[in-house]
Amino acid sequence: MKEPAIVLEHVSKTYRLSHQPYSSLKGILLSMFRYRRRIELHQALRDVNLTIWRGETVGLIGVNGSGKSTLLAIIARVIRPSAGTVHVNGRVAPLLQLGVGFHPDLTGLENVYFNGIILGLTRQQVAERLPAIVRFAELEEFIDTPIRAYSSGMVLRLGFAVAVHTDPEIILMDEVLAVGDEAFQHKCLRKIQEFQKEGRTILLVSHDMNQVRQVATRVVWLHQGQVMADGPTEEVVSEYLAFAEQREREIS
Amino acid sequence: MLNALRELYRYRELLWTLVLRELRVRYKNSYLGFFWSLIVPLVTVAVLTIVFKRVMGMAIPNYSAYVLAAFLPWMYFQTALLDSSQSVLAQIQLVKKVYFPREVLPLAAVLANLVHFLLALVVFFVYLLGYVGAPLLPSVALLPVLVFFQTLLIAGLSLFISCLNVFYEDTKYIVSIGLQLMFYLVPVIYFSEQVYHAQLVSPEWQRWVYVVYHLNPIAMLMTAYRKVLLPPITVQQVGAVQQQSFTALPMDWGLLATACMVSALTFAAGYAFFNKRKWDFAEQP
Repeated sequence: MKEPAIVLEHVSKTYRLSHQPYSSLKGILLSMFRYRRRIELHQALRDVNLTIWRGETVGLIGVNGSGKSTLLAIIARVIRPSAGTVHVNGRVAPLLQLGVGFHPDLTGLENVYFNGIILGLTRQQVAERLPAIVRFAELEEFIDTPIRAYSSGMVLRLGFAVAVHTDPEIILMDEVLAVGDEAFQHKCLRKIQEFQKEGRTILLVSHDMNQVRQVATRVVWLHQGQVMADGPTEEVVSEYLAFAEQREREIS
Repeated sequence: MLNALRELYRYRELLWTLVLRELRVRYKNSYLGFFWSLIVPLVTVAVLTIVFKRVMGMAIPNYSAYVLAAFLPWMYFQTALLDSSQSVLAQIQLVKKVYFPREVLPLAAVLANLVHFLLALVVFFVYLLGYVGAPLLPSVALLPVLVFFQTLLIAGLSLFISCLNVFYEDTKYIVSIGLQLMFYLVPVIYFSEQVYHAQLVSPEWQRWVYVVYHLNPIAMLMTAYRKVLLPPITVQQVGAVQQQSFTALPMDWGLLATACMVSALTFAAGYAFFNKRKWDFAEQP
């Protein structure tokens, strides 16, 4: 039986963008003397309706600024929608970008604890999974070294290793696979396939259409905050590529 | 607010981990480590004692102990506020990606400083009993109450400041200037008795000035720390013009209760303010 993992109903998100961002006192004082505030509303998402079923791997594609990351942030409960409702069934684990949540002065081990706990594990659970995490990251020798001595690939492996060992039901990936070498990408893909077999739900934002073709079972194409197309991978990807090509021709 | 507190309780392990992390990181790359947080107040108090006792002529036995008794809580207040003002902004990348109760960030900064304060208090007692040889007063039993309400006050202000600092980075500069000025508005280098007997104040207004001065909860707490930890003394001021001495005033329980109440209200207000805005943090460009 199909069970919904994520249900979005009429979700909209409006950002308030001010051309003169009031990030300083000077800005506020100056703006008081101006006739009116220049605040522009930017609709990042417009009335998005989307149901993602348990076990699906959904690729989110679209040009820059189409609302993919906003959608992911709303599902991760980091941003609240301006309108509409969001239902998420199951534990969500966002895969963090390179080095986010890591402290350079702390050792790999200390960072694993912090990262695991912030992703919702208990200290006990991190301790139990520690050997598996370290093995997956291939950092047995360096786990007691401060992160600042790591290469970016090592940091990436460690972050990925923690995230995949949090036993998430829903995994959010925002361009995380773009970095990392060939071997690491292979490892990640294998892990994704393993997750797929286990019936976990994966949401993947990517500009790499080959990667999307490789893993996604369904693709949602966002354009200017709206769902342009939603369906089987090959269909939507080729539609999107045709669109992108035409746009490129128009520009040149 | 109750829901927020319940969610915070669910994430208590994260809070504790953050506190430990903060404690570990601070002195990670220094040889003396934690001792730096003792050296700073001790050196400051040594300088203050020399200046005020030898140069300005405060003829008070064990002046340094009285300065330390107020200076340590002041250091806690100051460093906790400065640390927490940056706490959310420093982790904004994490805030933008992961769900967790945002208040753990400023609260962890406060609690890490609380740990430092408690350790410094231990050293204070060693100094008091070992070097000064002063007796331990029974009123020391009240110390946990003072620490508790001071922590509530600091946490409330921290929530307010750390939230505001996400939107206006001027906040941290305003806070550091405010703290510098506040230092002279609380009884650290002088005594509250001197406020009562200030030369500018005519006798019928003395009581009022004393009350208004202590409506500032942090000033009242400083006065209370002194009165709870140390025996009352007669303040001798050997001025250039005349010599004055002021007898110690008893603890004003009404004012202390007011300070505790204001601290609790500050916490509630700060938390409400933070909660109202905490889901806008991730939207900051």
